[in-house]
Amino acid sequence: MTSNFVKAAIRCNRRSRLLVLLFLVATLSPPDRLFALPSNNTGESVDVTYHSTVSEVRLVFFATDEHNHNVQQLQKDDFAIVDDERVIREFRSFTRSASVNLDVVVMIDSSESVLPHLQQVTADVSQLIFQSPWSSGDLVSVISFSGMEAHLLCAENCRTSFRADQIVPKGGATPLLDALDLATTLLIRHRQPDVWPVILLFSDGDDTISKISFRHVREKILASGTQIYAIDAGNSRQLSNGTATLQRLAGDSGGRYMGLSDGPVKVLNNVMDDLHSGLLVTYTLPKSSSEFHSIRILPTHNLNLQFRCRCGYYSRRVGSARQEDGP
Amino acid sequence: MKRGFWLVLSLCSVPNLLAAQFGIYQHGSVVRMHMGDCMLGHRGMMVAFGPPSIPVQDSCPEYTLVSPNVVYVIVGKTSNQLIPLAEVIDFRLQKNELAVRLDDAKRETKFEIKEMFVRSDWDRIQRHIDAQMKAAEVHDAER
Repeated sequence: MTSNFVKAAIRCNRRSRLLVLLFLVATLSPPDRLFALPSNNTGESVDVTYHSTVSEVRLVFFATDEHNHNVQQLQKDDFAIVDDERVIREFRSFTRSASVNLDVVVMIDSSESVLPHLQQVTADVSQLIFQSPWSSGDLVSVISFSGMEAHLLCAENCRTSFRADQIVPKGGATPLLDALDLATTLLIRHRQPDVWPVILLFSDGDDTISKISFRHVREKILASGTQIYAIDAGNSRQLSNGTATLQRLAGDSGGRYMGLSDGPVKVLNNVMDDLHSGLLVTYTLPKSSSEFHSIRILPTHNLNLQFRCRCGYYSRRVGSARQEDGP
Repeated sequence: MKRGFWLVLSLCSVPNLLAAQFGIYQHGSVVRMHMGDCMLGHRGMMVAFGPPSIPVQDSCPEYTLVSPNVVYVIVGKTSNQLIPLAEVIDFRLQKNELAVRLDDAKRETKFEIKEMFVRSDWDRIQRHIDAQMKAAEVHDAER
């Protein structure tokens, strides 16, 4: 009994000693040692990464001269951005977007109205996927849409897994806006700051059955910073509602509108030229009373320069910090 | 005939050359720009006082040009009348209009003056607007 009592006392004594020792280590050791922060001889912390929320606008744009040729030697002080009426000339960074990876969703309209051109569209898409000079980090997905819904044929890895026979000529109605919504959701899901989201849309633009409105889709596209290259599979020489829809989607998002009748080589060259000649500028989010910021890029010296970019973006609050949608 | 042509041409370019050489240009910076309604003035008397007609949906660029002492709000006469948005631009007042020198084109483009503010008043208004926006931001963050 006595020995048990002595053993318990010793164990208790050991525990209290251990606690005292831990207390001493905690109070006497420098905090950087305790929390494994590296320090140099002068006692200052080095190689410490601090994280903070940055409110930054990332904008991909294109510059052309009076002959509609891409401007190769554009400098930072050759242009100014009018963001929600404010003229911005100070930029955080300015680079070529060739160094940015692409996240591309190819959308193929396989509805009734496009069936006569579907074979050509399929050939163009195959050529685009297998013969374009993609970078190793580029992602390519393919969506086909007709009837009541859109189908994801392959996601991200279509450069290796896409097969032309996956596009089945189904006919039926055209759920264009629903399919655009799905494509944008897909792009938002794996969105990263250094990835440029792009949609290549092969369609006649005539939506016949979507549940989602044009306004909703347009807002989502602008919020995600996705650029749309619309390739009109209808009669692009005749002005129709479908053509107008495609032109508006392309124009507002900073992309381009082309006709399938221009020929696959010209269409693909235009798209790939654009994807490799884009410029990326970043700047501090300017204060504004509205959530939507309209954007326009104008020259600072040479009025012959033309600039193309999305028509605006939405800024929204996340927690206590503002975060813009981009790039 | 040729001489006459050259004489007329040189006479036309004299005002601009004189303006440039004698330094009558003032300097300013464009801080704001938007597409707004075109001013009625340049459409002429017929539109202003003539019979009612279908309104034309036209928009013209409106710029806020800040100079050391005065701030001008100027409006272009057509939708594609643009000012190069360089850090500093040269301009001069001419017959109730504001002529902006286009550096690369070696010519001027004229704008109608919509509003004018004394610089100190304009600065005070801007500070007030900034303070209001900051307060709104803080309020939103707290909510």
